[in-house]
Amino acid sequence: MDNKYFHSVILQEDRCIGCTSCLKVCPTEAIRLRDGKARIIGEKCIDCGECIRICPNHAKSAIADNYLDIIKKFKYTIAIPSLVLYGQFPSKTSIAQMLSAVKNLGFDEVYEATTGSEAITTVIANHILNKKHEKPLINSSCPAILRLIQIRFPDLLPNIIDIETPIEVTARIAKHEVSKRLGLDIKDIGVIFISPCTARVTSIRNPIGIERSYVDGVVSMKAVFGEILRNLGGSCKEQLVRSNSSSILWPIIGGQSRALGIENYLAVDGISEVIKVLEEIEMDKLDGLEFFEGVACLGGCVGGPLTIENSFISRNRIRTLAKSLPPAEYSKEYIDNSIKMYEDGLIRLTCEIEPRSIMRLDNDITKSIKKMEMIKEILKYLPGLDCGVCGAPTCKAFAEDIVRGENPRSVCLVKTMENFRNKKRN
Amino acid sequence: MEFMKYTFDVEKDDFVRAGEASSNIKRTLRELGIDSAIVRRIAIATYEAEMNIVIHSVGGQVELEIDPNSIKVTARDRGPGIPNIELAMQEGYSTASEKVREMGFGAGMGLPNMKKCTDRFTVESVYGEGTTITMEILLKAGD
Repeated sequence: MDNKYFHSVILQEDRCIGCTSCLKVCPTEAIRLRDGKARIIGEKCIDCGECIRICPNHAKSAIADNYLDIIKKFKYTIAIPSLVLYGQFPSKTSIAQMLSAVKNLGFDEVYEATTGSEAITTVIANHILNKKHEKPLINSSCPAILRLIQIRFPDLLPNIIDIETPIEVTARIAKHEVSKRLGLDIKDIGVIFISPCTARVTSIRNPIGIERSYVDGVVSMKAVFGEILRNLGGSCKEQLVRSNSSSILWPIIGGQSRALGIENYLAVDGISEVIKVLEEIEMDKLDGLEFFEGVACLGGCVGGPLTIENSFISRNRIRTLAKSLPPAEYSKEYIDNSIKMYEDGLIRLTCEIEPRSIMRLDNDITKSIKKMEMIKEILKYLPGLDCGVCGAPTCKAFAEDIVRGENPRSVCLVKTMENFRNKKRN
Repeated sequence: MEFMKYTFDVEKDDFVRAGEASSNIKRTLRELGIDSAIVRRIAIATYEAEMNIVIHSVGGQVELEIDPNSIKVTARDRGPGIPNIELAMQEGYSTASEKVREMGFGAGMGLPNMKKCTDRFTVESVYGEGTTITMEILLKAGD
C-alpha cells in the first residue's frame, strides 16, 4: 500500500454519475471530475467525509477492515467501540448491553473509549493547562481538523495539544493492562476500533504525530451496526461500565471543553465553520481564548460519516445515558499516573506535526508570481459562475489546474456556449 | 522582474465585507508559497488598515504589490485624514468613544500594530483630503 497517499475515502466508479455535488462541498478543493467521474486528489484530501455524506448516489464510501480477518491474527482481541455507538440504539438500551453485544461479535474483551477520554482530560486539566503553551490550545482529537491545520493554518500547528486521541490512548492502556494481567506479549494482543469516522480510519494507518498506531484494525460502525443490533438481547451481567457523566460526552461538540472545566473556550462543529473561526484565531482576533475545540462533523463525532443514527438524536441519547452515570472523580494516584504516561511518551504525540504547503503554485517565488499572473489572465475570460461543469469546483480552480498543467484538455462549457451564441448572432 | 498587483475596494461602514481584502491577500500569498509567519504578519497588518478605512474614513482601497523581494500593501482612503499623526501613532491613543471602547473596539493599537508587523511603515495624511498607509515586508531569498 502506498502509505503517503492512503485515504479511507474512495469512489465506487460505477455509481458516480459525475453530478458535481461533491466538488462543491470539499473544503480543500480536492475533487475534480475527469472523464465524467469524481477523482480525489490524494495529497489534498483530509478524509473529512463531506463527500460521502453529500453523494446522492452513495458512490463515495470508506474502506475499512473486516474484523473477522483481523481477529484470526491475534491470540487475544480487544474491541474499542467509539462512544458514538452509545447513541445508535433506542434509549432503553443500556451501555452494558451494547458493550456485551460488541464483545459477542467474537472479541475476548471490550474496552470503553472513556478509558482514553478520562486520561486525556486529566492530563490536560492537571498538567498541560499549567504549562507555558501557545494559546488558544487546540484539541488534537479530530484528525480531519489536524490535516486541515497542516494544509491551511500551518502557523497554528504549535497550538495543538500534543496528546493522543481517546481511541489511541485507550488502545495503549488496554494493551498494557491486558498484557500485565494475562502475561501476554503486546504483539499477541489485537485492538480493533469501531469507527464513526473516515479520517480516523486513515490516521490509524497513516498516523499524525506518532510513529505507529496501537490500533490494529478499524471497522466502520455502519458495517457492523446490524450485527451488534442482533446481539443486543444477550446476557450482560458481567459487563462493567467505567464511563462517568462527563467523559462519555466527548463525542458531542463542547464535551471536551466542559469536561476540562475551561471557562473561555470555543467549541465549533462543521468544517466550514471551523475554517472561519481558525481564520479569526490566525489573525489574533480572539484575545484571551484558552481552548479551541474544533470538530469537522456537525454535532461532533456523533455526526461522523460512518454512523447510522441522526446526530441530533444520538446526541440526546448520550446525554440521557450520561445522567445515569456517576460524576467524574479522579484520585491523586490516577492523575499522577496519567501525567506519567504522558511524560513518558506513551500517550503523547512524540513526532512533530509538519506543515504541508500543498496550496503553493511553485517552490520558486518568481515562478509562483508568473503562474499567479497567468491565473489572473485566464480568470478574465471565465464566467465566474463556479458551476463545476468543467470538472473543477470553481473558475479559479479551473484556471489553476491549467497553469499547473494538470488539465490541458479542459473546456469551459459556459464560455463555449456564449461564443457559439455570439457567432450565430453575427 | 516578476511583479503583481491587486486592488481591493473598501467601503465606509461595510462591516459585512470588512476583512475580505485581508482574507484575499492572505490566500494569494499562501498560494505564492510565502512563509506562513510572514503571511500572518501581513494579514494582521492589512486587516487593521482595512478596518480603519471601514470605521474612520469615507472609503478607499487596499492595494497589494508583490515582487520576489518584497510584499507591499498600500491602504489609501479619500478622507477625512488624521489631524495629528504623532498622537495617532501612540499606543492606546484612540478617537473611539468610551462606549465603543467598553465593547472592546478602538483600543488605540491599530497603527502601532501595523508598524510592529511590518519591516517598513509610513503613514501620510492630509487633513481634509485623506490618508495613505504603506507597509512593506522584505522577503529573504528562498522564502
